[in-house]
Amino acid sequence: MSWAQAILLARGLSRGWGGICSTALTGAPFSQVTPQAPRGLHCSTAAHQPDSPLVPRPPEPQRGLVKALAPHEELFRQAPDGVRDKASFVQAVQNFTQYNVHKRGHVDFIYLALRKMREYGVERDLAIYNLLLDIFPKEVFRPRNIFHSIFLHYPRQQECGIAVLEQMENHGVMPNKETEFLLTQIFGRKSYPMLKFVRMKLWFTRFKNINPFPVPRDLPQDPVDLARLALRHMEPDLSARVTVYQMPLSKDSTDATDPTEPHIIGIQSPDQQAALAHHDPAHPIFVEGPFSLWLRDKCVYYHILRADLLPPEEREVEEIPEEWNLYYPMQLDLAYGRSSWDDYEFNIDEVEEGPVFAICMAGAHDQATLAKWIQGLQETNPTLARIPVVFRLSASSGELLASSSGLEEPPLTPPEGREEEENNQQRQQQSQS
Amino acid sequence: MSRDIYVVRTVEEGELLVGRGQGCHPTSYSTRGTPATEGPNPGCQYPRQRDLSWRPRDAGGGLGLSNTMYARLGEIISLDCSIAVTLAAHQAIGLKGIILAGSEEQKARYLPKLASGEHVAAFCLTEPASGSDAASIRTRATLSEDKKHYVLNGSKVWITNGGLASVFTVFAKTEVVDSNGSVKDKVTAFIVERDFGGITSGKPEDKLGIRGSNTCEVHFENTRVPVENVLGEVGGGFKVAMNILNSGRFSMGSAVAGMLKKLIEMTAEYACTRKQFNRNLSEFGLIQEKFALMAQKAYVMESMAYLTAGMLDQPGFPDCSIEAAMVKVFSSEAAWQCVSEALQVLGGSGYMRDYPYERILRDSRILLIFEGTNEILRMYIALTGLQHAGRILTARVKQLKQGNVTTIMETVSQRVRDSLGRTVDLGLTGKLGAVHPSMEDSAHKLEQNVHDFSRTVETLLLRFGKTIVEEQLVLKRVANILINLYGMTAVLSRASRSIRVGLQNHDHEVLLANIFCTEAYYQNLFALSQLDKYSPENLDELIKKVSQQVLEKRAYVCAHPLDRTS
Repeated sequence: MSWAQAILLARGLSRGWGGICSTALTGAPFSQVTPQAPRGLHCSTAAHQPDSPLVPRPPEPQRGLVKALAPHEELFRQAPDGVRDKASFVQAVQNFTQYNVHKRGHVDFIYLALRKMREYGVERDLAIYNLLLDIFPKEVFRPRNIFHSIFLHYPRQQECGIAVLEQMENHGVMPNKETEFLLTQIFGRKSYPMLKFVRMKLWFTRFKNINPFPVPRDLPQDPVDLARLALRHMEPDLSARVTVYQMPLSKDSTDATDPTEPHIIGIQSPDQQAALAHHDPAHPIFVEGPFSLWLRDKCVYYHILRADLLPPEEREVEEIPEEWNLYYPMQLDLAYGRSSWDDYEFNIDEVEEGPVFAICMAGAHDQATLAKWIQGLQETNPTLARIPVVFRLSASSGELLASSSGLEEPPLTPPEGREEEENNQQRQQQSQS
Repeated sequence: MSRDIYVVRTVEEGELLVGRGQGCHPTSYSTRGTPATEGPNPGCQYPRQRDLSWRPRDAGGGLGLSNTMYARLGEIISLDCSIAVTLAAHQAIGLKGIILAGSEEQKARYLPKLASGEHVAAFCLTEPASGSDAASIRTRATLSEDKKHYVLNGSKVWITNGGLASVFTVFAKTEVVDSNGSVKDKVTAFIVERDFGGITSGKPEDKLGIRGSNTCEVHFENTRVPVENVLGEVGGGFKVAMNILNSGRFSMGSAVAGMLKKLIEMTAEYACTRKQFNRNLSEFGLIQEKFALMAQKAYVMESMAYLTAGMLDQPGFPDCSIEAAMVKVFSSEAAWQCVSEALQVLGGSGYMRDYPYERILRDSRILLIFEGTNEILRMYIALTGLQHAGRILTARVKQLKQGNVTTIMETVSQRVRDSLGRTVDLGLTGKLGAVHPSMEDSAHKLEQNVHDFSRTVETLLLRFGKTIVEEQLVLKRVANILINLYGMTAVLSRASRSIRVGLQNHDHEVLLANIFCTEAYYQNLFALSQLDKYSPENLDELIKKVSQQVLEKRAYVCAHPLDRTS
């Protein structure tokens, strides 16, 4: 080899190594096949074109944001009239496997596919995960001798397998026998993905019923139903009644709720009704909110109607009527009370709070909507008309809009400061009359 | 006593002939009930009989029987529960108010007709929204403008004899001006006749048992009641109700005992004739146990009932309401248990409607519910007793709480002596003792129990004080111990008397007495050990936890045995 050839080889090698080093430094997944492998002397040193696009690449649209496309991303590009669902996802995966027999770049592809699953709405589908695991070439990564088993054989692939299983875990998908078989075929029985699989099988079954307040897996999409579920979830009293004060106007597009007619749903139990009936009109009651409640991945907001705790002086001692029970004395007239050894009343964890009279969930968080709720409450609680209601709505209605569409609107500009308005009898009388 | 023979006939039962005076025997009692006619209104005919009620004193035209005689009569009448209930509703609670709290002219006006049976009385207290809670009754009586009438409005539910009665004792809320001028609503008792108008009765209720008696709703719409018909004083209805309810209870003991005796006869007849595996049923141990149980319970019931009746017959007006309540609780529960066992002896035939057992079982279920449910009465027994004990102990408790050294030393030394386990001698046995030596052991057990019980009551009062009203599980145990103690007392005294007087079969009585005393002794020991603080036998905390979890979800919360997670 002449020195010229050596220099060229060195340059090519260094470029290759540099490429590898740079990718290693940036932390991008190390694919087995580098895009710029050192070539032989006889090949041109020009950058080797990646695999010809398997899907005809439409002209790149001008984008404001310059994002480096991950390899194979074009497989997931939506056809202009296509809808992102399971079928198209499966199609994209099958495209990869069909046209890429040697499955080059499968690790990258699997990572990409894991990222794209949420868009396609298939993150809870076990068949898709099995399909992804199926992309791995079988029997290649299994350790065959003791040296393979001592050292982590094919570490990146094992990491990728673990990543698939981890995404399954995060979404609460239980693997099945097919997954086990695939993992055994791909990685062998003593591999880390298989270990993770075995752990998943044990602990998921044990932790399935661990939530004392379980939320159903498939949450309803309709905001009214979702609010109903959330209110029932929050209220421990089973005698409480859910009332829909206002339904959203049904329109063609089911997403947006009409800003003038959001849904209002409230819940109140008979004990709360009785407490409200006994509430002294001299003390105002407050509408507070919005507070957030997370149900799996959906966040809903609720408001409460509450009153402050009466100071001890004003609390009326419940009078035991003298002639109450015909059969036995409700009160013994003894001079001494309970001994302190038997007194379990003090509990450091219990903090006494003022009464909460009702909870509601509404589409909008402004005073007008909540006033409508109060009006609706008045039908079942007539004494509410005489009690002053103060609206204490907190500043940020920092809502997370449901990202059913891919684009997210920036949140609405929040009103400054805390609103505190006396909404007195006048308004209610006006609304009544 | 000139009133002789009562003929009471129901389509259900055939004829029931009750002879005169004390030595009554039912002469013809057919055990064949006819299912088809056992409906809500089997056509109870109360013929124009004289003396439907035998309690009113002679002035009213009644028999003027004492409590003991009343108990004796109850034994016979109870062979048919529907008749017994109807008669009890008429005279034990219906017209008892007039006797206890009525003025002379009210008695003169109403009692003769009621005593002769021309008019039937009923007791109207329960409303749909208020059972034991007297302060929540909604029936209102407002004074009219001319202050001569009260206008009554409201409705009462589950009134026995509601359809037949013409005289009602109604409890309603009236406005009463207090001594300091405040206006309050208080309960007042009225005597209301059906002729006053505005009274409607609903249709007879379809009940599980005692289907021969008439139970229905009674509605009062603007019924005008003259002011003279107020029973007692305006606003004093609560006390009247309490007195009425507390006075009629003890007769349940003798009534149930009478029924059980008849039941033992019928069942023994069957057990001794039926053969299985070449042996009579009566030779099998488990069947024998059932008969022993029935005999024992009947004996105790009788003893308790007649002891209470005897106490009530003492001169003066002794307050035996606790004893009466104890009799009622014991006899109602024993009735349910024994009738169930008797039905069990018959096996399949007991279950058939051809035999009277199932009817008697259904009839006896109401015993646990009416006249004060057993749970409520247990509270009453325990609380009234604790109130009494508490007053006596107040001085000592105060001293202990203040830390008086002498009292503390006394208490400590007492406890030490108790824990050393010396026998207690309260004077029941021995030379001057009332109990016959053949029951010496049982008497010792009673004494021991009483002693331990007194210590436990002291501790309980010290621990809980006034708030013991809320500790119902503790009160239940106290009441159970009390009932057992009273039963033991009654049984020991009766058996001793039988021996000393020389009644027939007194050794059998001694056996029954000893059995009951031993059983009650061990039950009491267990209950007393449960009443200790931190005792391992006391499961109250766990019970409360379980019930709280069940009631929170209002369902059974465990996972199904076939549930899987994978």
